[in-house]
Amino acid sequence: MTAGSGVDDMDLLARVLLPVANEADARATAIALEPYDPAHVTAVHVVEKGEGVPDKTPVEQSEAVAESAYAAVRTVFPDADDSTAYARDVVAAIIETAEATDATAIAVRPRGGGRLTQLLSGDLTRQLVTDAPLPVIVLPSTEDPT
Amino acid sequence: MSETELAKDLGLVSAMTIGIGTMIGAGIFVLPGVAANTAGPVVVVSFVVGGVIAMVNALSVAELGTAMPKAGGGYYYINKALGPLFGSIAGMGDWMGLAFASAFYCIGFGQYLTVFAPLPEVAFLNPNQVGALFAGLAFTAVNYLGAKETGNVQNVIVFVLLAILTAFAFAGFLSFDYATLTGDGGLAPLGTSKILPATALVFVSFLGYAKIATVAEELKNPGRNLPIAIVGSVAIVTVIYAILVTTMLGVVPWPDLSLDAPVAQAAELSFPASIGPIGGVAAGAAAVMTAGALLATASSANASILASARINFAMGRDGIVTNWLNEIHPDYSTPYRSIFLTGALIVVFIAALGQDIEVLAKAASVLHLIVYALMNAALIVFREADVEEYDPDFTVPLYPLTPILGAGLSLGLVAFMDGIEIALSAGFVLAAMLWYFLYARREATEDGVLSEFIREREDALPDQIVSATDAVAPSGSDGPTIMVAVANPRTERALMTLAGALASQAGGRVLATHIVTVPDQTSLAAAAENRDRIDSTSEELLEAAKADVERFDVPVETRTILSHRGLEEVFGAARAHDVDTVVMGYGGTRFVGGRIESAIDELTHDLPCDFLVLDGEEVPTSDVLVPTAGGNSSDLSAEVASALRETIGMDVSLLHVVDEGEEAAGREFLEGWAGDHQLADAELRVETGDVETVIERLSDEYGLVIVGATDRGLLSRIVRDSLAFEVIESLDTPVLLAERPTRRPLRERLFGPR
Repeated sequence: MTAGSGVDDMDLLARVLLPVANEADARATAIALEPYDPAHVTAVHVVEKGEGVPDKTPVEQSEAVAESAYAAVRTVFPDADDSTAYARDVVAAIIETAEATDATAIAVRPRGGGRLTQLLSGDLTRQLVTDAPLPVIVLPSTEDPT
Repeated sequence: MSETELAKDLGLVSAMTIGIGTMIGAGIFVLPGVAANTAGPVVVVSFVVGGVIAMVNALSVAELGTAMPKAGGGYYYINKALGPLFGSIAGMGDWMGLAFASAFYCIGFGQYLTVFAPLPEVAFLNPNQVGALFAGLAFTAVNYLGAKETGNVQNVIVFVLLAILTAFAFAGFLSFDYATLTGDGGLAPLGTSKILPATALVFVSFLGYAKIATVAEELKNPGRNLPIAIVGSVAIVTVIYAILVTTMLGVVPWPDLSLDAPVAQAAELSFPASIGPIGGVAAGAAAVMTAGALLATASSANASILASARINFAMGRDGIVTNWLNEIHPDYSTPYRSIFLTGALIVVFIAALGQDIEVLAKAASVLHLIVYALMNAALIVFREADVEEYDPDFTVPLYPLTPILGAGLSLGLVAFMDGIEIALSAGFVLAAMLWYFLYARREATEDGVLSEFIREREDALPDQIVSATDAVAPSGSDGPTIMVAVANPRTERALMTLAGALASQAGGRVLATHIVTVPDQTSLAAAAENRDRIDSTSEELLEAAKADVERFDVPVETRTILSHRGLEEVFGAARAHDVDTVVMGYGGTRFVGGRIESAIDELTHDLPCDFLVLDGEEVPTSDVLVPTAGGNSSDLSAEVASALRETIGMDVSLLHVVDEGEEAAGREFLEGWAGDHQLADAELRVETGDVETVIERLSDEYGLVIVGATDRGLLSRIVRDSLAFEVIESLDTPVLLAERPTRRPLRERLFGPR
């Protein structure tokens, strides 16, 4: 369960990239990761861009959501870094950020929601697991607090 | 935020197609039949006049948009320039206007849908309304769920439409008959006086260009692309309308032009029934036109619903509507409540007014025209008030003629609307004003440039104007946020009492923060390991803090912050939470966390808000002494004193120290000052001598002395321990230091901190 491979460079939890969606999701995800005691955490939020059509939400609002998500991560990991990506393809943006930050693994918490939600949101966890060129840690699913 | 560059992903073509895509649906596919019925063939002129009016306004939108590329468009400029009363009218007008326009597009969709699939009448709804309701619900759902369109779907739709229409124009040109155009009664069988009423009707076909401005923050190189896209899209659609409407009327005599599906009808007559062996060409062409019409009206409605969410967001940011409305759906990341409410309005408008498409079209136009008129006024205010930071990349030609003309033409066109639409829109404007005075005035935080402009020239302007300005000014935020930096249990009670009194007096809220300063040597991660211990101390402290303000009956929030930075973090938190006043203990100011002095200097010279620093541990109970010599910070002292008097019944004495022989002038000053600060009934004391000695001598009689910083940087000097104000340390009486920063520069209030 914990990073036990010995060599520092091979430590899965040396630099964990933590994709977060919003405040509640960020808190739940960070709490799910906490017991494994990662050495360093970078939170990433992807602002979904239309790339040709106007966005679903104003950029300013998306950035505010990102900030509150990072703040929630820092209640658990006070010195976590953050990184905001702007892209249409969320999964590709997460992978790109992982490479840019030299992450050792991506930690995801499967989002709840019914089949419809998963279909519409494209089940990010499954896509990440399929596409990522680095280890993806799937955290135990917990309910959002509050 | 340097990253915002990354957020800009709309190029010129995308921006242009947003405008064209929204406009073309209405002008070509929905209105020609109805409009021709109003004016005859001369309706082509009506379209061109509409295009000219739109163009004049488009120039103004382009200037404002390049000066402030912010979400919200017209509402945003008007609110900034004319203040939240007009902001409310513009925001609500824009929102309702878009809802009317969306209902109108949906009816257009319904009309073409019935061509394909016969729909039943349901209760009091005609088939068009049934189709429109279906469309309205579908578009709302699409936006609610935020279903992803492929990146260039908007471009594809617009190019497909343009291709279809070009084909139609060619075919129409071949079967064009000038005699059909002139018909029996000539070009203006109903008289040229019908031109402008028809313009009033078709103006709804030009409402799309302003939507480009609502997404200005997402445009690449907005300084160049925004004006080109706005002006270009208006020019292009005007030309398209003129050509295609002329073509239609040269193919189908105007009295016969279909009211529901004019393009399908005209296409059927333009194309030959068969080309060589291929039959059914005309019918096929009609079907393609119908499909195109569905696509066009759908894209218009969709864009309008999205734009309305932008306006709600911008209004929420300024406190005109509650931000609850703009919360983002956790799974779909859409502003779902805002979209749901807009969808509900659309459904109501379709059901209630959808029998007559003209009413929807004109109601949408009237509301937009009011917004355009205000927008031109906003432009003039920005220019005349000489706001330094108002620096548009694009400026309207022939200023001030253009904005004056724009406002005049917009309001002038309203006069050609019918009574019902004007009444409907007047109702919405009144409702928006009522909304402002009953709700938004308490919530809105910022006054407009115009009010600043008037107040600065208070003496030169008639009293009525100044008092009218004050009468509509926002009464300020959700009430101020008073942040308390509690550090230790001994002082917590006194600080919270002060904060509670202030918040209760001003109808604000209290934010109690416990900033745990971690020495630089300890990593925050290591500190976090001790979180359990920190948590419990922190929790205890904050719970006590919470209990201490309970009697003031004000909302309280608490927060624990781990930081290396101490005092700096207090500033950071004050900025992050948009705090109006920070209350902290004298000891807390010493927590500078190993920073070099120059950094502290810089920090304290730029206070983010009012600061109150208490030297003392006792909860003040008896009388309070306020020495004053006037000035910014002593205004704050007065506010605190009056809050303590109102909420916990402390008596207030004001002290003014003068040189010997100047007692009379001193008393006069103090009386005036007391009157100005709602402290007229306080005890006034004018004493002579050295300020510090006098304060020291009198302080025994009082439970608290409130000292306003007399010059900038008092806090900085306390922090650096270089304050030549030994009174504070030597007095037994608790001292409260009040420092109010000099007013923030206009740029920051207008455009937000860089």
